[in-house]
Amino acid sequence: MGLGPDAQRRIAVVLADVFGESPDVALAVAAFLDGYLRRVPRPSAIGLRLAVWALTWMPLLFIGVPLPVDALSPAARARYLDRWASARTYFVREAFYLLKAIALMGWGAQPDVRARLGLGPLAAERA
Amino acid sequence: MSGDIADFVVVGSGAAGATAALVLAEAGHEVAVVEEGPAVGDRDRGLGSSEAFLRLFRDQGTQVAMGRSVIPILQGRCLGGTTVVNGAIVWRLPEDAYERCFGVAGAREHVPYRALLEKMDRIERDLSIAPAPDRLLGGNGTLMKVGAERLGWAAHAIRRNVVDCRGSGRCLEACPTRRKRSMETTYLPRAASLGARLLPGHEVHQIETSAGAAVAVSGRTSTGAPFRIAARRGVVLAASAIQSPCILARSGIGPREHVGAHFHAHPGTAVSGIYRDPVRIWEGATQSYEVDEFRPQGFKIEVVGLPVELAGVRMPGRGEDFQRAMRDYGHMAVWGVQVRAEAQGTVSPLGRRAHIRYTPTRADMVTFREGVKRLCELHFAAGAVRVYPGVHGGPDALTSPDEIERLDKLPLDPRDWSLIASHLFGTCRMGASDRDGVVGWDGAAHHARRLWVLDASVFPGNLGVNPQHTIMALAMHLAERIA
Repeated sequence: MGLGPDAQRRIAVVLADVFGESPDVALAVAAFLDGYLRRVPRPSAIGLRLAVWALTWMPLLFIGVPLPVDALSPAARARYLDRWASARTYFVREAFYLLKAIALMGWGAQPDVRARLGLGPLAAERA
Repeated sequence: MSGDIADFVVVGSGAAGATAALVLAEAGHEVAVVEEGPAVGDRDRGLGSSEAFLRLFRDQGTQVAMGRSVIPILQGRCLGGTTVVNGAIVWRLPEDAYERCFGVAGAREHVPYRALLEKMDRIERDLSIAPAPDRLLGGNGTLMKVGAERLGWAAHAIRRNVVDCRGSGRCLEACPTRRKRSMETTYLPRAASLGARLLPGHEVHQIETSAGAAVAVSGRTSTGAPFRIAARRGVVLAASAIQSPCILARSGIGPREHVGAHFHAHPGTAVSGIYRDPVRIWEGATQSYEVDEFRPQGFKIEVVGLPVELAGVRMPGRGEDFQRAMRDYGHMAVWGVQVRAEAQGTVSPLGRRAHIRYTPTRADMVTFREGVKRLCELHFAAGAVRVYPGVHGGPDALTSPDEIERLDKLPLDPRDWSLIASHLFGTCRMGASDRDGVVGWDGAAHHARRLWVLDASVFPGNLGVNPQHTIMALAMHLAERIA
């Protein structure tokens, strides 16, 4: 179970907002999410895939706008993501942070990001 | 492997299984070590957090305890077990911790403190255990040392099982230079040199019994092929406080009221501080320094060298705010508090996975609040200009020690905290009879002959210090009796 091209494109818009990254980096992180979902145990993959789906398609429920997340204006998207991050319902809030945590692993692996932060390559020297 | 046979089948290859396998092999027995996870090759080492989780951790790092909140439970799942992916911390068991864990339950006669110390002497020689030298403290450890000295708190360099450490800060990804003296580089190859067979990729589902005695283990290999290995003299279960009770439960070996009950842990959380001067957290030992001052109050403070991808999880802000926060990564020190929690949970099999129920008590959360306050105090004493407590509902950041009192109002609901648990105990605990526990003081199962459990699941109580050394010493002590 992974993320199709459309799902990757949509979640990349969220990732670009959350991490303040370029569309290219955000798309690379979305591709990482796809690969990650394909490798984790199925129960975890189903939960994560549901979280991605909910984050993509729930603006109507959270801010009353009947559009997917990638079609929201930047201001509406910011309001929408704030609702997730500070939700009073624990599992909503935690789903957001869980996705952020997993996406961060893809973000921290990007050569551009590592170079910007002054970090060496992801793979350590083995000598 | 169908039709295979050995004197002893050891299930699990971590701190306990590897130690038991070595002791039994040294005594001249034919030993098969059955490990669910893969062997760890050089190509698997130092590849970053995500690859480490995906290759070397149980459930690819997604194992959690469910309760009032969701708490990740990190365990290695590879040849060498958690010793491959831990911070190389080796704590010689203090007498007060021994009394709390083994004394209260009445194990003193059968598991004497002196006997454990003697085993620890050997283990310390075998694994070259020594305090982290100053050159390996890195910025992260050096700042903790400075803060602790200014506050007058008891603190010291962490004793580690490493030889000629290069300080690459990659302990949690399997040491890229093979300098950590974890089980796959020490006791397992030594056992193999004495004839023990190491069988990675073999997941045990069941222990077979006949006339009340354990006679074999069976399960599937990583390719899906069934296997069965018969045991002439017995089965040694050392699959961890999560997997050992699951295997017993699937095998119908009781007592049911104790198998998987009494689950104890050391949950922890981290607080990061930002400093004017570069810290370069990625340089030095992953875990190099610790504060012992508050162990009597039930918590311990440690350096935690988190990689950027894990350090960013609870960073507040989004977009440019997040970028600004992460630009400080080079100036960030991350320290954790680890709580000797009084909470008890349960572990049971759910298909091929484990279902873990666990919720820290209110008293545990009060200890966490105190621990986070102390962490903030320590950061400011070391010169931090900004500290991120990382608790939902609390302040995003503190910029002065005068603000620490704001943390008195931190919520005590575990759902507001980012907790993570390691150091897991108690799910097959020792007891004089099956009314008290799953195994006797010698590790022998009350409800099956020729079956021993030797891992942290048999600990009668919560240890309160990093457990690898005690797990190994107890396994050595008990395995010598079996041999």
